Amino acid sequence: MRPIETRYARSGDVRIAYQVAGQGALDLVFVPGFISNLDLQWEDEGYSRLLKRLSTFSRLILFDKRGTGLSDRIDSRHLPSVETRMDDVRAVMDAVGSGRAALLGASEGAPIAMLFAATYPERTRALVLYGGYAHFHKWVMPPERLEAFIETAETAWGTGATLPGFAPGRMEDAHFIQWWARFERLSASPTAASSLARLDAGIDMRGILSTIRVPTLLIHRRSDVRVDPEASRFLARNIRGARLVEIPGRDHPVWTGDVDRVADIMEEFLTGQPAVADTERVLAALLATRIYDTAKLGDRMWSERRQRFHETWRLLVGRHGGRVGGPHGELMIARFDGPARAIRCAAALREVAQQIGVASAQGIHVGEIELRGQPVGLTARVTMQLAIHAGRGDIIASRLVADLAVGSGLHFVDAGRITLDELGEPLPVVQATSEQHLEPACRSKARPAEPAALTARESEVVSLIADGKSNAAIAAALKLSEHTVKRHVANILLKLDLPSRAAAAAFSARHAGPEGP
Amino acid sequence: MLTKTKAVDGASIKQAIEGRDGKLLSSFYADDALVRVIDRNNPPSKPREIRGRAAISTFWDDICSRAMTHKVDTTIAEGDNLAFTQACAYPDGTKVFCAATLELKNGLIARQTVVQAWDE
Repeated sequence: MRPIETRYARSGDVRIAYQVAGQGALDLVFVPGFISNLDLQWEDEGYSRLLKRLSTFSRLILFDKRGTGLSDRIDSRHLPSVETRMDDVRAVMDAVGSGRAALLGASEGAPIAMLFAATYPERTRALVLYGGYAHFHKWVMPPERLEAFIETAETAWGTGATLPGFAPGRMEDAHFIQWWARFERLSASPTAASSLARLDAGIDMRGILSTIRVPTLLIHRRSDVRVDPEASRFLARNIRGARLVEIPGRDHPVWTGDVDRVADIMEEFLTGQPAVADTERVLAALLATRIYDTAKLGDRMWSERRQRFHETWRLLVGRHGGRVGGPHGELMIARFDGPARAIRCAAALREVAQQIGVASAQGIHVGEIELRGQPVGLTARVTMQLAIHAGRGDIIASRLVADLAVGSGLHFVDAGRITLDELGEPLPVVQATSEQHLEPACRSKARPAEPAALTARESEVVSLIADGKSNAAIAAALKLSEHTVKRHVANILLKLDLPSRAAAAAFSARHAGPEGP
Repeated sequence: MLTKTKAVDGASIKQAIEGRDGKLLSSFYADDALVRVIDRNNPPSKPREIRGRAAISTFWDDICSRAMTHKVDTTIAEGDNLAFTQACAYPDGTKVFCAATLELKNGLIARQTVVQAWDE
């Protein structure tokens, strides 16, 4: 297949860059948000996934708004009106021979799509508004926050500095941060970004909502950090017949988070039929491993050790029947057919990391992934989050992994719940403990339990356990989160090789004294 | 049910497609007709299926709203089976070629399979 061709439509004197993907009967025009770049967006996993999903049932028409991406620049002294930008949509539709199309307006694209639907109802088959709004200052940011945003844009544009305001859930994804910085640089200049922000600040479409007469679907993430979900609730109340679907998540861009869910909702609305089940997905266990330098080794030594660990990682993954995936920043991803293999591989990797002299932290999760290609998607992202959350030497797995590994001889201790942006509810997690016959080096059972093995904080926690306090009470007493207390309790039980809280309380009583806990 | 204005044969299909007449095309289908589309994004193991005349009407309305040209070239008829090929072009020069087979029941299209390839 040839790369997707970029062409240019003429809208007045301005050239608007566009692409067409997909072969469906339905035309779907994607009106992008604040900034976009037609070429760059295919390089991001989530963006590319969303566009591919939409193009399975439509002829997907993409464009960069004037002043952004590959389209002509705008004169920052003469900013175009929303009407002019809406007319760019018509120009692109004319260029591709689209007489009537569904419009997907994402974020700042939503007001433009709404205006188009109100102006050209005969050319609008349906409206899909994701994270949209009718009034900028009311639902995106008040004037004083806008000035702060523009200040950031003018001083740090191109560094990815705006990411926390759009997708805070991706702040620990080094690869995505780099992509976002490029996305800023290649989508707009600093001056254009400031101008576009001022342009968007003038948006007020409240007056036209009652004139929209096309089938309308609204999608909004419940904790969207950029656009208040109340914005879509307002649209639902004021666009006749509009249907609102709220989904979990706080990251704003439509191509972040669970894009498959977003695509499923759109496909069903636009085609009248649920998405065809993707038969090329399989259930798999994923292991994410990260290593880091705690010994201040220096760049050269660290680089050598990291290289050594990477080589051993490939070897061990293969030995445990797994397949290595591509690196995601500092994370290494491997795929296994069953969770027990993934856990055993993780235990072996932990041991190797200790031998090499680097710190390891690992996460394991089970879920559906694409049969072909690198493990990507929600399952992979959750696995990586678990590895990021894991402490030194930890193997943190979702509870599901433990449930599926019943009968394997592996042991787990409860490690509380982890809240992840993309999941509706906190994910129950466990910590994989040592398996004596496979990884004796990990933790010596013969070693007598010593109070000295505990950190000062763990000693405080164990004392409060002995007082009969619950995790919630301990959390309140020590000003910690309940989750952190759970982690401390799990670590205490691990270090002291004790089976329960009661045993920890008894241990505390036995070792009470000046040296004890 | 729409009024059927023409017999479903190669000539009427050619006239409706080339004239981008979605209403006429829709009238050729049985109420419970099935159209299956196979292309790069909808492979043979999971073709896109459009069921029932209402959905098929929308399908043709969408296609006929495009400012493009259609030319039906080869039509073969044998009993209740019809086949034709269709060459299409978009204003930007993109070409599409389709081959379609149809099964008729009581003079209406009951089942149609379209295989299409696009310039890309």
